Amino acid sequence: MENNGWNEFEIGAMLRSFDGAATNIATTHTEDRNYSNSNSFTASVADWRIEKPLFNKDYCIDCQFCWIYCPDMSIISRDKKMIGVDMDHCKGCGICVEVCPTNPKSLLMYAEQQDEDVALAEWPEKETKEK
Amino acid sequence: MLEIRWHSRAGQGAVTGAKGLADVVSTTGKEVQAFAFYGSAKRGAAMTAYNRVDDKPIMNHEKFMHPDYVLVIDPALVYTADITAHDTDETVYIITTHMNTEDLVASQPKLEGKKIHTVDCIKIAQETIGKPIPNTPMLGALMKISEMYEIDFFKDSMIRVLSKLPQKIVDANMVAIQRAYDEVQ
Amino acid sequence: MAFDKMELRDIEVWDGNFAAAQAMRQAQIDVVAAYPITPSTPIVEGYAKFLADGYVEGEFVMVESEHAAMSGCIGAAAAGGRVATATSSQGFALMVETLYQSSGMRLPIVLNVVNRALAAPLNVNGDHSDMYLGRDSGWIQLDAYSPQEAYDLNFIAFKVSEDHDVRLPCMVHQDGFMTSHTAQGVKTFTDDVAYGFVGEYKPMNDMLDLDHPVTHGVQTEEDWHFEHKARQHNDLMTKVMPKIQEVFDAFEELSGRKYNIVEKYDMDDADVAVVCMGTSVETAREVAKEMRADGIKAGVVGIRVLRPYPFAEIIEALKDIKAIAALDRSSPNGAPGMLFNELAGALFNTDSKAALSGYVYGLGGRDLTKAHLVDLYKELQANADAGKVLTPLQQFIGVRGPKLAYL
Repeated sequence: MENNGWNEFEIGAMLRSFDGAATNIATTHTEDRNYSNSNSFTASVADWRIEKPLFNKDYCIDCQFCWIYCPDMSIISRDKKMIGVDMDHCKGCGICVEVCPTNPKSLLMYAEQQDEDVALAEWPEKETKEK
Repeated sequence: MLEIRWHSRAGQGAVTGAKGLADVVSTTGKEVQAFAFYGSAKRGAAMTAYNRVDDKPIMNHEKFMHPDYVLVIDPALVYTADITAHDTDETVYIITTHMNTEDLVASQPKLEGKKIHTVDCIKIAQETIGKPIPNTPMLGALMKISEMYEIDFFKDSMIRVLSKLPQKIVDANMVAIQRAYDEVQ
Repeated sequence: MAFDKMELRDIEVWDGNFAAAQAMRQAQIDVVAAYPITPSTPIVEGYAKFLADGYVEGEFVMVESEHAAMSGCIGAAAAGGRVATATSSQGFALMVETLYQSSGMRLPIVLNVVNRALAAPLNVNGDHSDMYLGRDSGWIQLDAYSPQEAYDLNFIAFKVSEDHDVRLPCMVHQDGFMTSHTAQGVKTFTDDVAYGFVGEYKPMNDMLDLDHPVTHGVQTEEDWHFEHKARQHNDLMTKVMPKIQEVFDAFEELSGRKYNIVEKYDMDDADVAVVCMGTSVETAREVAKEMRADGIKAGVVGIRVLRPYPFAEIIEALKDIKAIAALDRSSPNGAPGMLFNELAGALFNTDSKAALSGYVYGLGGRDLTKAHLVDLYKELQANADAGKVLTPLQQFIGVRGPKLAYL
């Protein structure tokens, strides 16, 4: 779409969400949907991130807070089980980490270049509150 | 080209009268035009309505005309409106009034020497239709003076034009048209 | 479908408003969203009554402003319905923002504009101020000179506007009161013939096609806005006129009534010509015929399609004319009149040596009399004889006070 001329668009600045028909879309997972080029799902915003969230499933209680609060629908959840983060659409805002209620948190922000295995190996311990 | 100017008050039915006349005339193969100039567009305000009739399509859309007939359906407009505007020696007036023609002309000297006919459309309308809506009786008077159509043909045509009204009102209008036809001087 | 048909006489005596309302009934509009305003009120009132009486299957949406009226029409058109409404003057002015939306979104809405002056001072009578206000909005603009034409052009408007190569909204203009409230004989179609001409509505990119979800009303910034506007302009410049001509031809075949992109009356051998719009075209036609008895070879050019602007057709119509008058029924407010400018623009690079002068007339419904036009044709003949414009380039007709003339 980047170099399209005026004559290469459909009229009316109208955008299609899907290539072809979209049947049973509500029961089809996003990655299996035939999203069109003009749908934002096909555009990556990964390079917008300074920091990225990493997910540690050992502590996750599948409360779905992160899934609900994520403003970019980038938390991947299946059958109410948290699976991970859609790194193509996550902008690294950190809201998922903020709302995570576990101790230690199941999501933490790291620098973009952080190695995931190292991060998981060095995941912080449970914090004990001073009384 | 036959040109008619109506002087009326908004709400007295001059537009309906002009359009009804146009409708009837149209059925006889003539070209017609009926329009109005509303001025301040408030009920009771003086206004004018117009008819044009011709054998060929009517292209002229100016409001200006030298009327062949001037129909005045409100008695007070004889004194307050410019009913003689742009008339000619041949212009025929039919004026609603409770007076006879002689007294009317005496009360409004600018009508002196003009072709004046009088009929009390307000009274006729009140006594037949039950409301002072003098438009259809004026058409009855016009049929008599102009000899445009046989009165029976005209009444039959008006029954169709008024067909959306209740039968009682239609019947009363027919009586009003006939009375004005008979009573116009 | 669940609606009654209406028996019409071959010729009905209708005013322009009722003629337009009848056309909207016969075209079976799905949605009318409206905020009635004088002098166009009877159009939407008429549709509403037909709907209430069971003669149409559709929806009448009463809204809170003309801006909302056109917004409702946009929504309904994007959803995939045949949509129309009507407005005038101040209402049209309030609609302007949404006019650009509907044309930019390529939604085929038909808007009956009963031309009326723009305040201040407030005035309900007919001039072309609102029509002129809409001329850059990306709509197709057709102009009717009589109730018959208001009826006919509505059918033509739907057929052009809804065509999938066009998909641009269309205004049908008529003069406030002078057409809208003037009853004349209108040759009618039967309901079946009328609907057969307009045809069943064929949706395109409609939002109710749930298997093909679409986004209407997108945002584009510097990156894509220009391309979309260019596309719209291109389609107005290249696709609309051929379609209008095709529909005019089909309409003539059906009705015997011939419409042209630019109407020419007595122009074949004319030396002088008046170019105007609305009811003035018909009055000028009558005067032009009478001028010929006085030895002035007078003609009339009526703009039938104001947008897209009939550049080539204007040049063709005026190529042999010696003196031309452009009659603008809208205050240019500090400029030559629109028609003057656009005729000048069309003729400038041609071989035409015509003396072109402009006249402003008829504001707020001021009568354009035959006497005015007689004087005007005489001025044109003097210009033609002299080979140049002898008067100022801009003159006012029919205004009280000292003569107004500029340029």
